[in-house]
Amino acid sequence: MVVVSAARDYINRMLLDISGMKVLILDSQTVSIVSVAYSQSELLQKEVFLVEMIDTISKSKESMTHLKAVCFLRPTSENIQYLRRQLANPRFGEYHLFFSNMLKDTQIHLLADSDEQEVVQQVQEFYADFVALDPYHFSLNLPSNHMYMLPAVIDPSGLQHFCDRVVDGIAALFLALKRRPAIRYQRTSDVAKRIAHESAKLMYQKESGLFDFRRGELSPLLLIIDRRDDPVTPLLNQWTYQAMVHELIGIQDNKVDLRGIAKASKDQQEVVLSSEQDAFFKLNMHENFGDIGMNIKRMVDDFQQVAKSNQNIQTIEDMAKFVENYPEYRKMHGNVSKHVTLVTEMSKIVEERKLMLVSQTEQELACNGGQGAAFEAVTNLLYNESVSDIDRLRLVMLYALRYEKESPVQLMQLFNKLASRTAKYKPGLVQFLLKQAGVDKRTGDLFGTRDFLNIARNMARGLKGVENVYTQHQPLLFQTMENIIKGRLRDVDYPFVGNHFQQGRPQDVIIFIVGGTTYEESRSVALQNAVHTGVRFTLGGSVVLNSKRFIRDLEEAQRIAKSSTNAV
Amino acid sequence: MATRNRTLIFRKYRDALKSVRIPTSSSSSSQQPLSSASTSSSARGGRGGGPVIELANTSFLNPNRSYAPLSTEDPGNSSKGASTVGLPPAWVDISEDIAANVHRARMKMAELAKAHAKALMPSFGDGKEDQRTIEGLTHEITGLIKKSEKKLQRLSAGGPTEDSNIRKNVQRSLATDLQNLSMELRKKQSTYLKRLRQQKEGQDGVDLEMNLNGNRSRMDDEDGLDNMAFSDLQMARVKKTEAFTAEREREIQQVVESVNELAQIMKDLSVLVIDQGTIVDRIDYNVQNVATTVEEGLKQLQKAERTQKQGGMVMCATVLVIMCFIMLVLLILKEILF
Repeated sequence: MVVVSAARDYINRMLLDISGMKVLILDSQTVSIVSVAYSQSELLQKEVFLVEMIDTISKSKESMTHLKAVCFLRPTSENIQYLRRQLANPRFGEYHLFFSNMLKDTQIHLLADSDEQEVVQQVQEFYADFVALDPYHFSLNLPSNHMYMLPAVIDPSGLQHFCDRVVDGIAALFLALKRRPAIRYQRTSDVAKRIAHESAKLMYQKESGLFDFRRGELSPLLLIIDRRDDPVTPLLNQWTYQAMVHELIGIQDNKVDLRGIAKASKDQQEVVLSSEQDAFFKLNMHENFGDIGMNIKRMVDDFQQVAKSNQNIQTIEDMAKFVENYPEYRKMHGNVSKHVTLVTEMSKIVEERKLMLVSQTEQELACNGGQGAAFEAVTNLLYNESVSDIDRLRLVMLYALRYEKESPVQLMQLFNKLASRTAKYKPGLVQFLLKQAGVDKRTGDLFGTRDFLNIARNMARGLKGVENVYTQHQPLLFQTMENIIKGRLRDVDYPFVGNHFQQGRPQDVIIFIVGGTTYEESRSVALQNAVHTGVRFTLGGSVVLNSKRFIRDLEEAQRIAKSSTNAV
Repeated sequence: MATRNRTLIFRKYRDALKSVRIPTSSSSSSQQPLSSASTSSSARGGRGGGPVIELANTSFLNPNRSYAPLSTEDPGNSSKGASTVGLPPAWVDISEDIAANVHRARMKMAELAKAHAKALMPSFGDGKEDQRTIEGLTHEITGLIKKSEKKLQRLSAGGPTEDSNIRKNVQRSLATDLQNLSMELRKKQSTYLKRLRQQKEGQDGVDLEMNLNGNRSRMDDEDGLDNMAFSDLQMARVKKTEAFTAEREREIQQVVESVNELAQIMKDLSVLVIDQGTIVDRIDYNVQNVATTVEEGLKQLQKAERTQKQGGMVMCATVLVIMCFIMLVLLILKEILF
């Protein structure tokens, strides 16, 4: 059930039977899908010597009929239009069309209409419609992610578009895995309910022939939950490698863009952080900052040893050995400098923004601590000049989410202080967050205050003390996963769609978070899978969030909501 | 991994639309307006050389058509119709040559491995023949690699932007193959050398060490030995060791030479080869880069155009021309007035 290998298998199959020199034509979405799963050198081995985008392909008049075109596109109407233009004036000798999702009959009709020169050799649907970031984590890279926060009446077509893309992505995932799931969704979220019902309709009614896999095992479980049930996780600062890089710098499709940050040397402007290709990263992506520092130091020491022995060339044998080992040496050098650059950069940012101090308070707010102490801590940090605006905003948001009901007066004081100190703060953003994800709207027990068992657990933890105060937070997803393993996920909160009631515990669970996942949650899933409890989890979301992205979505949604109420 | 094949439906639609589109009658009936199902696209395209000519006639005769038939011939490329895969450009021949060389080199490497194994086996004969075959094979393979590498440099000539991308990528993939090949060869050679030395050491004992240390120690020993009286047996043994020494010396020299040659090739190749796992190995990075370099090129061209227009030369030339006209006018006036 590994999503990366599913995507790779599809691409391998595409290129398998076509001989000769090929050109690969992609659109803006599929280029991400292919780039995370396949590398340029692997493409070259399969004789794909050119990669082009479908929207710029018609601009060049140069015709290369000795090449065969392999088009891998999403079946959107724009792509069909571009294809039609291409087929009317074909630049390449043959066209093999692969679509990442289901085509409508009208679209096939349109394509057949434009293919007068009969250059199209095959039209297939290969369901790789998701970006496979890590073995158990995928994303859909939705551009207008903020849609899920808005009620349907404000922008019905936008929301429909959002839901369609999510349903397509989920359907493609299950077709790639060749399973048909039982679907459960979070009752309190309309978006989740809508997506769950539409997926069920697609898989069980509209295309039931396509999804009819006769497998003896128990169906997997698809659980659709809403980001707003756990708004705390995206707001927290992270201290484990992959999550920290995304939070402080930003990872997009497993690439890190260091161009905005000064002092990056020329070949380290953009780097790749992929657990499939980088063995050091695979071992360290879930480790916390302190351990990473030690491991990197060890790696640098090893590298220095090798470098020293390379400089010590005296006999011809040494020369021969050096030349033999040179490619590996170069790779090691590149890898070491990449990780050192990243860690240096992150240390600098931590120092500038005083993140150790801020994060301590954040963790206290998220996990334990009394209200009075929390209020004082947050106030102090608000007055602290070296704390940046976004950190102040995050602190107030976390405080508001936790102590929403406890003392409204102090909450108002905090709002006022925030508004006065932060120039760019859009007024009412925290209130908007509370309206979206306040305590009344949440299903799960985010702060461990509802269930007696959770309260007891919290008290025990407070008494015992934690190993590392910066990584004590467990995302709500962890509790959800535990409940699924023990079969204790309440039907009241997470009902089944239709009559898909499942007997016993599922062995494979796909959790889809509408609104986006975070790397902290994917780490939680990876660690859970490593424990081998007999249940395998896969996590997916519409995007991968960090605090900047989450706040941006909130601002965008707030803006649209305000403008629509003004219009009304 | 589920997939769905829509080719059949696609072909069905295509054939159905084709029969509606193509005019079934001769040129006389082409005066009649064709059925509305034939869209404007029907004037273009065709199925190769024949229909192009046919449609040109109908286009000429039929005033309803507003399109001239598109030429299905690519300038300088394929001479057949567009439906067949056209003839590739000339540089593809070079890349195919290199690929053939690589394949041949691989086969020879397999032979070399066998020859190495045979030479290492303890035998009664002198082993000179084995050495010769090994030498010959190694030379051949090194020669093939060198030739391929020279050809590879030829692939990177300039040219139109589209083509240059493909050429660069072809170059890269062939460079990777060549580099792997040369590394394999070198590894095989070094293991062979090592095992050879181990073997000979076992046979000849201390003598071989003396040989490996070069000429100097040999000289010393010869001087030392000269002072003693030699028996025939000792002379024979000395001669044998000398012969061995010379032999080994030559072999090692040759192997070292080929190692150096390959090192040189590898240096050149390593510039071309992609490092796996780096940003250069990402498809989206390469696609973006192409776009930006093309844009950059356009900007440079525009800037050059602008600077040329604003160039001082142009100004001077225009000023001079205007002055000429003024002088001409004055001359004419002078003639008229006087």
